[in-house]
Amino acid sequence: MALNLTFNSSNPPLGALLTAEHVKGSVNLSVEEGKDTMLHVSDQVQFSDVNSITRYLARVAPALGLYGSNMMEQTEVDHWLEFSARRLCGQSDLSSALADLDKALALRTFLVGRSVTLADLCIWAALKGNGESQAKPSSHPHLCRWFSFLSSQVPFSSVGSKWASKVSASKAASVEK
Amino acid sequence: DAVLRGTADLDDLLGKDLGALRDIVINANPAQPPLSLLVLHALLCQRFQVLSSVHVHSSVSTVPAPLLSCLGPRHTHSYARHRFQLGFTLIWKDVSKLQMKFSTQNMCPIEGEGNVARFLYRLLGAEPRDPVSATLMDGWVDTALFQLAEGGSKERAAVLRALNAALGRSPWLLGQEFSLADIVSACCVLQTGQTSSAPANVQRWLKSCQNLGYFSCVDPLLQ
Repeated sequence: MALNLTFNSSNPPLGALLTAEHVKGSVNLSVEEGKDTMLHVSDQVQFSDVNSITRYLARVAPALGLYGSNMMEQTEVDHWLEFSARRLCGQSDLSSALADLDKALALRTFLVGRSVTLADLCIWAALKGNGESQAKPSSHPHLCRWFSFLSSQVPFSSVGSKWASKVSASKAASVEK
Repeated sequence: DAVLRGTADLDDLLGKDLGALRDIVINANPAQPPLSLLVLHALLCQRFQVLSSVHVHSSVSTVPAPLLSCLGPRHTHSYARHRFQLGFTLIWKDVSKLQMKFSTQNMCPIEGEGNVARFLYRLLGAEPRDPVSATLMDGWVDTALFQLAEGGSKERAAVLRALNAALGRSPWLLGQEFSLADIVSACCVLQTGQTSSAPANVQRWLKSCQNLGYFSCVDPLLQ
């Protein structure tokens, strides 16, 4: 059965859209604008929070390795999913979170293992949506290297150019209110 | 009789044993004892030879006695580390977020009780294979820890209603099988101390959890 992801284009869930782009060649998935963010799996099962949506999509496309390749990598991916939701999204002071990310990336190309995982997708999306300007090459050299490396690749570049400005706009609007 | 039917082989899960004890080191704040990890520790002890120990970090001045004995009696033959398959070292420390260090050559430190619980549950080899069940399980773990344990009274009431509805449809949160969703959610309900005012299905389910025996280790910490 086909999966269907809907999202509100005035506040697009970048992490979920990026994961959808990664799995779309492997999974029968349609993506369309709607009222709320929701992954419709069946009449009995729908996921509405971004971490559940990305976890489910990674699990139905196991060959892509988006959830890591062994249980230790899976656990690291879990760590970064929570990190993105709790320490990056909705936080005004990111200084300690950015320092932690920079340290974690000092000896790594990707956050977990040797290829892209949900950890990269969700952290990248949270930074992109949060105005990445807070990360400075002088104080976060590894984070900035990793961020620009991912940003230059499809689908990061396409999702970023299409939706990131909408996220920033909706954040600014909610601050003004 | 085992309630979890997974088959776990540590070499398959973690790579080949290189001779050193595989030690799980957890830094936890005594102000927020991680009850779910104690239940998982009890389950691990049933499956593996576990060398368990509790320490108090210098950042913490005093720790109540039940927290010092929460992993059971101290091993007297701890010198024979090679006789054990896993180490489980709990350090009471003044940390803002629970943290686990394991295989630090390969793995970053893992933050958050839920993520450590997921790791310990994978060691039991019991994670659901079906993507829907696995994702629902992860969702309940997050809901319990972020909305029940940390949330305000409105959020708490909403989670209790959701638990009650799910437990009206099936004996356990994922259906017919006991899982990590039940372990973490039950521990969070017990920790909030509102078990007597909880809805009927939740109360029945808490009794079922406690009847399994693995939860007896948390009782001394709830006094």
